[in-house]
Amino acid sequence: MDGILPYIECFAALVALYLILGRGGRMTKVLGILGGFAALAWMYVMAGTEIIGGEGVGREVLFLIFGAIAISAAVRMITHSRPVYSAINFVFVVLSSAGLFLLLEAEFMAFALVIVYAGAVLITYMFVLMLAQQASSPDKITEVPEYDRVAREPAAAVTVGFIFLSTIFGAVYQGIPSMPPPAGEIERNMVRAEVLQGLPKQLKSEVEKIDPSFQWPPDIDGNKNMVHADATGIFVLGTTEAGKHQPVRLPESAGPRNTQFVGWDLVARFPASLELAGVILLLAMFGAVILARRQIEHGEDELREAVGLTRIHDWDDDPAVTEEGSSA
Amino acid sequence: MILLASAFGQLALAHYLLLSGVLFVIGLVGFLSRRNLIVMFLCTELMFQAAAIAFVAVGRYYYDFSGQVFVIFILTVAAAEAALALALVVLLFRRKPTLNAEDWRDLSE
Amino acid sequence: MILSSIIQRIVLATVESGGLAQPETEPVISSDVVVATHHWWAGFILYLPLISLILCGLCAAMKVKSKLPAWITTVCLLGSFVLSLLLYFDYGGSPELIPLLSWINLADPGGNFSGLSANFTFYIDSLSLLWIMFVTGLGTLITFYASEYMESDLGKGYTRFFAGVSVFLFAMVALVLADNLLMLYLGWEGVGFASYWLIGYYYQRPAAVAAAKKAFIMNRIGDLGLALAIYLIWTTFGTIQYDELMDVIQSGSWKESYDGWTIDAIPWFLMLAAFGKSAQIPLYVWLPDAMEGPTPVSALIHAATMVTAGIYLVARTYEFFLLSPESLHVVAWVGGVTALLAATIGLAQHDIKRIMAYSTVSQLGYMFLGLGVLSTYGAAYHVFTHAFFKAVLFLTCGAIMHGFAGQLDLRKLSGLIRIPGWRITSIAMLIGCLALAGFPLTSGYFSKDAILAEAFITQGPGFEALGWMAIFTAFLTAYYTFRVWFRVCAGKVEYEPGDEHHGDDDHGHHSEAFHPHAPRFAMNFVMAVIAIGALAASVPYFMDTKADEALAGGWVADMVHDSTAQGGLPGLDRHGQSMGDIVEHGHAGHQGEGDHAHPTLFGMDVHTAMYVISGVVGGLGLLLAAWLHLFRRQDADRLKAFLQRHWWIAWLPRAMEHKWYVDEIYQGLIRAPLWIASHLMYAFDRFLIDGLLVDGIARIPRMVARWFQPLHNGIVQSYAVTMAGGVALIALLMILFLQFWKIGGGG
Repeated sequence: MDGILPYIECFAALVALYLILGRGGRMTKVLGILGGFAALAWMYVMAGTEIIGGEGVGREVLFLIFGAIAISAAVRMITHSRPVYSAINFVFVVLSSAGLFLLLEAEFMAFALVIVYAGAVLITYMFVLMLAQQASSPDKITEVPEYDRVAREPAAAVTVGFIFLSTIFGAVYQGIPSMPPPAGEIERNMVRAEVLQGLPKQLKSEVEKIDPSFQWPPDIDGNKNMVHADATGIFVLGTTEAGKHQPVRLPESAGPRNTQFVGWDLVARFPASLELAGVILLLAMFGAVILARRQIEHGEDELREAVGLTRIHDWDDDPAVTEEGSSA
Repeated sequence: MILLASAFGQLALAHYLLLSGVLFVIGLVGFLSRRNLIVMFLCTELMFQAAAIAFVAVGRYYYDFSGQVFVIFILTVAAAEAALALALVVLLFRRKPTLNAEDWRDLSE
Repeated sequence: MILSSIIQRIVLATVESGGLAQPETEPVISSDVVVATHHWWAGFILYLPLISLILCGLCAAMKVKSKLPAWITTVCLLGSFVLSLLLYFDYGGSPELIPLLSWINLADPGGNFSGLSANFTFYIDSLSLLWIMFVTGLGTLITFYASEYMESDLGKGYTRFFAGVSVFLFAMVALVLADNLLMLYLGWEGVGFASYWLIGYYYQRPAAVAAAKKAFIMNRIGDLGLALAIYLIWTTFGTIQYDELMDVIQSGSWKESYDGWTIDAIPWFLMLAAFGKSAQIPLYVWLPDAMEGPTPVSALIHAATMVTAGIYLVARTYEFFLLSPESLHVVAWVGGVTALLAATIGLAQHDIKRIMAYSTVSQLGYMFLGLGVLSTYGAAYHVFTHAFFKAVLFLTCGAIMHGFAGQLDLRKLSGLIRIPGWRITSIAMLIGCLALAGFPLTSGYFSKDAILAEAFITQGPGFEALGWMAIFTAFLTAYYTFRVWFRVCAGKVEYEPGDEHHGDDDHGHHSEAFHPHAPRFAMNFVMAVIAIGALAASVPYFMDTKADEALAGGWVADMVHDSTAQGGLPGLDRHGQSMGDIVEHGHAGHQGEGDHAHPTLFGMDVHTAMYVISGVVGGLGLLLAAWLHLFRRQDADRLKAFLQRHWWIAWLPRAMEHKWYVDEIYQGLIRAPLWIASHLMYAFDRFLIDGLLVDGIARIPRMVARWFQPLHNGIVQSYAVTMAGGVALIALLMILFLQFWKIGGGG
């Protein structure tokens, strides 16, 4: 019985979603929203009790808030009949995701997300939406088209969604307890030491900030390591006032910072992928330009003539035109 | 940053992954049930979003920044996809002024 | 083009074999065989029928309406006959090879296998001379006869007929004169084909077509046996040339690499071939049906020459039979039983040509009996005499058929000897009947005795019973033979015409308006000549050309003496001898009979006893026939009525009239199961293989596609549903699988 509870949760959540999506009245939708929240709450509690076995449940308020905003905005996004509002709801999703990224110590990603998604991509969507909205029915501007009002086969969609969600839940519920333990302090500090060693200038200034008497360069061990890590933090060894081979402990604030981590990984570990990403973007730009370019049906030559340029069409076909052009 | 710095265990990871799964499925359901081409593309963006959350969460769990790097690539692909998809939508819309996906059945032939 | 190239090759080959240019590869010749290149002209025995065929083809192309093809064929065959006679008189007494054309010469320098030589070379010994003389001689005469007999077909099938006869003679000469088994096989197939051609001559008659097919298929069964025998002979003895085979067998060198079973298999395959061609049980049923062909064909091919090819084959490969003695016992028994069975069927038939056909089967049975009881001489002699008297019988039947518009029913013909113009026919038929019945001092009398006596002399399983059976058969033969003659030729003049329409007949077909047209010069001449031949065929029995006192049997025995068939000569005492001894005996020159205790019958020498017994038996049969069919014909009807009235005996005449239901048995045992099996296989192939496997499998993708067709509707979401659902299902399965695997692994 316990085994199928997560799937019942999934089912309840998606029934709620169905009610919201469906063609019922306002009351149904309210019911759906309430049911959906109830299901989510159940999931949350279940996640705590089922997976870790009733151990203390961390009430991360921010996670709850951001998660709730993300989910409700997402639901609203797919249920709203006006695409513009959908897009705005998607911005909420993006923003709350950015908040979650902050919680996950991914500051760079959080702001990149806001800038790229909310700032650039979504604006593009908005433009296209406006363009379409404007052209679709000029006389009935407030009328929402039927295909936006009525969902297409929500039952089938929700069925597939149920299967998918069950899969994900099944994977999470079964997979999480058997995962390797999370990175401990030593591993964290080793990563920090490794990256910081790649940033000698920062390292020097930080070390000198802490202990101005530190005589640069620090000691280098057999593995050519300058920065060392242990369970409590990272340190360098070197000659200080106190004598030779004195450790200088570097605090958390000494870095490297999140942006530096990401930059280090991006450039040091995935340079080829980085290049590929650039090529993809370039090609996407070309593609978009070529696809969206309006075919010029008429008048280009006239426009050219108007600004005093030679015609580009019918150059060889019409001798009269050619004569005219040459005389001009 | 400070809040969860030392307490990101399996429970927290599970929460993030479940959240990401819910978002993904909402995106999927939206993709399947909405008829507006642009909204469908928005739903794919939502799915990207969910995947990005999962990547960052797992990366945080292992203290491995590859997860975040991968999100950068996801952003790249999403941006490229948005550019091309919207260009295509514009192209289609110019041919027939509708955004209804079912009106473009004949593209399959 | 083709004709000219053939002629060119013939001329070249003739020049080569004439000594101007030797063939490149000289065949290996054993010591006592001479290469007789000075007999190069013997090649024309083979070429003349071929030339005749080509000329007949030209005649057909030029639409010749005269009797020209008949004259061409007759002249060519006469040429062959004359050359055969010349060859006989020039024959030096020891086997000789006459190389004509190089054909197949394979040799392995490494010596891993023995190579294969098969050339167009003649192997001339007394046996092949004996055969070639009566083949070409009778061929000439019967062709001459046919020139008149076939005249109703002038301009229609006339040329085709003579072309077929030419093909037959060509193939027969190749068969008889071949120096290797492959060339013999070529001729063997050739005569089978010519037989098919000529049986189906009246191809507009369904019966003729069916008979031709039957003959061909039955012969194919035999041909398969011959082909297998040739393969086995080659693999066992390393050669297929007669002279080398003789050397290899007699020297025993083949035993070095012998692998143990082929020796016993070869005679059986050869037997199958011989039984197919010579119409023995179980393959005899084609021969009576083959009477659908024109009568000269029946006389030439299906009585005198082709059907004796089986005898010739066994005589030619007698050494193999001597190596495996049981096979000879089988030959003897099959021959004896066939003789009796065919004679009983012959008793109850009304169609005179069909009676002659069964008589042929019966006499061929005698010949195999002779071969089986180690009397090759008797078999060969019987072949020789039978060729004459059976030819004359068929020719007279043909004359009757020709004159009475196809009438062959002996109940509807009577008193022919009293009708003007039919005297020669009747007398010729009488001579033939006497010889066939074994009337004392006729040729058949001596040749049959040679076989019968040997059945009592030679020791074998039940050979004595076989001998008595053969004597009883002789009685039946005498009876049914004279039944025909007394019914048809004797008695008061009565006749009904048949229903055959001759285009050039000027008379009507009602009996009151019908006048039989008697045979003219060509037919009468030929019948008379062959009848005289049938009488004279007893003369060689008393000719002692080689002055070997111990060797009874005269000229024919002499002819067998130096041939491959010398293992079965009279005058050899074989009690308790192994086959090797027999072979050695044959080479030692036939010791006298006095050295051993001589078998006796009723206190007399077997041969003497047999002269008496068979004379009495023949006479009895004749008398019985005379009583029932000449003097008191109503007694025959009364006997028949008596037989039919009593249930315990009534089945006998009915079964005999229906040929012992052999055709029906074959129909039920072989054709019907084959028909059912083939239809079952057809149904299996049609419905299971084609329907279920081929079409069914092809239908599966279409059905599957029809299930998923609704998804493929051009709406993006449908594709997405499929994809997402599929991905989710696969993931779910993987998770579940992992779970179970974990449980299983953990538990």
